[in-house]
Amino acid sequence: MENKVNYDPSFAEEVFRNVDAGDEIKMCMNCGVCAGSCPLREHMDYPPRQIFGLIRAGKREEVLNSQSIMLCTSCYTCVVKCPRAIPVMDVMHGLAHYALKQGYVPRKDTAAFGGEFWKQVYRLGRIDEKDLPRRVFFSGGLIEGVKGMLNFMDIGIKLMLHRRMKLLPEPKIKGIQSLRKMLDKAERLGKGGAIA
Amino acid sequence: MKYFLYWGCSLEGTGANFLVSLKPACAALGMEFEEIEDWNCCGASVSYAGANDLAIKVLNARNLALAEAHAGYDIVAPCSSCYIQMVKVNHEIQEDPELLKQVNECLAEGGLKYKGTIKVRHIQDVLYNDIGVDRIRERVVKPLNGLKVAGYVGCQSVRPYGEYDSVNKPVVEDRLLEALGAEAVPFPKKIQCCGSGIFLPEIDYCMKLVKNILEDARKHGAQLISTVCPMCAMNLEMYQGRINDAYGTDFDIPIVYLTQLMAVAFGMDLKKDAALNYNIIPPEGILQAAIG
Repeated sequence: MENKVNYDPSFAEEVFRNVDAGDEIKMCMNCGVCAGSCPLREHMDYPPRQIFGLIRAGKREEVLNSQSIMLCTSCYTCVVKCPRAIPVMDVMHGLAHYALKQGYVPRKDTAAFGGEFWKQVYRLGRIDEKDLPRRVFFSGGLIEGVKGMLNFMDIGIKLMLHRRMKLLPEPKIKGIQSLRKMLDKAERLGKGGAIA
Repeated sequence: MKYFLYWGCSLEGTGANFLVSLKPACAALGMEFEEIEDWNCCGASVSYAGANDLAIKVLNARNLALAEAHAGYDIVAPCSSCYIQMVKVNHEIQEDPELLKQVNECLAEGGLKYKGTIKVRHIQDVLYNDIGVDRIRERVVKPLNGLKVAGYVGCQSVRPYGEYDSVNKPVVEDRLLEALGAEAVPFPKKIQCCGSGIFLPEIDYCMKLVKNILEDARKHGAQLISTVCPMCAMNLEMYQGRINDAYGTDFDIPIVYLTQLMAVAFGMDLKKDAALNYNIIPPEGILQAAIG
């Protein structure tokens, strides 16, 4: 009886080449400790172990559309626990970045939050904690924005009343122009862009 | 002892009670701080959505290079997310000459260069290892007489390098709390993640994480929870009302920074130095009762 699994290595090669920390999955022995230790595992469609398996099996759409690659809280538990010292978290971040660059949007809200976060770092050099949520809410349109603002207004007011909200807008750092040049260069030299 | 204090973006805002209390509490122990001139954000936990890994490394390397160019002090980061970002990038470029070269190629665009000589430390690390629990205990004038505190470590403050504490069974925060006269209650969820930087966009999932942490602390007798991370403090404190609404619980547990407890135990002003009035769930009553 034919009992053959057809592996398609082309997506794995794409991941090794283009995804930050992507080649680290070569070391994975599929033990599942990463999945077992993840705080948001119960909400993941494919836990990290399965993501690695899907990459090896050439399941590009499943991986780049996966909810789990954008559900990482960056707690480092999987990194600490992995018996093969794979930086699982870095792989998940790399995959999320790569998926977004390729036009996939797993976890719309987290993608908007992270995207606006980086835009603000690039624009100011620092984060403006009252401006960031506003931009995130309104990135989904006017109605979404108003809803989001109303939903979190109580928290904003409490923070303000307890002196935990900077009232003035965050100014740009002095070296913002040179910081941007550095980041542009890194963006050109690094991984995560178009398929090479 | 002199250090660079890298307080990051949230310690002048949502984590203001951390920075306000940290300065006098540490000054009382003889620590001196300098700001890194024109520092930038560390990128925290969510930057990967917009930037590749090299850009995030360069972002952090700029701060390291600015510090190195000015003086050789260790950088102390009170925010756990800033700490882990900087310590991680620092390790990676110190251990990989090729990467250091690549990072420097990018830094050169802004006329900077990093040699790799700076050390990044967490505030708990310097308190425990440079100052020491004995000196902290000596400075206490109003011991927190057996106050039951859950020392919530969270995740990023000790991982992944285990520089100053065990990644799986951290003890440093408890020893520091005990030096202040408090009783550090055992608390299995002390290193369980609170949702960290994605709490806001993933609030439905992350509220449950916080509920479990609060439940565990209370089950073990904690009167309050202490933390060393502005994101933990924010997530654990601000959403207790919503968690109560969603789960029918009745949480009203004050969340304080370790440095706020230090300022209180050092006999400092509860508002001006300990910044207790910055807390949304007021901790004054419990603390006043403890110090008598």
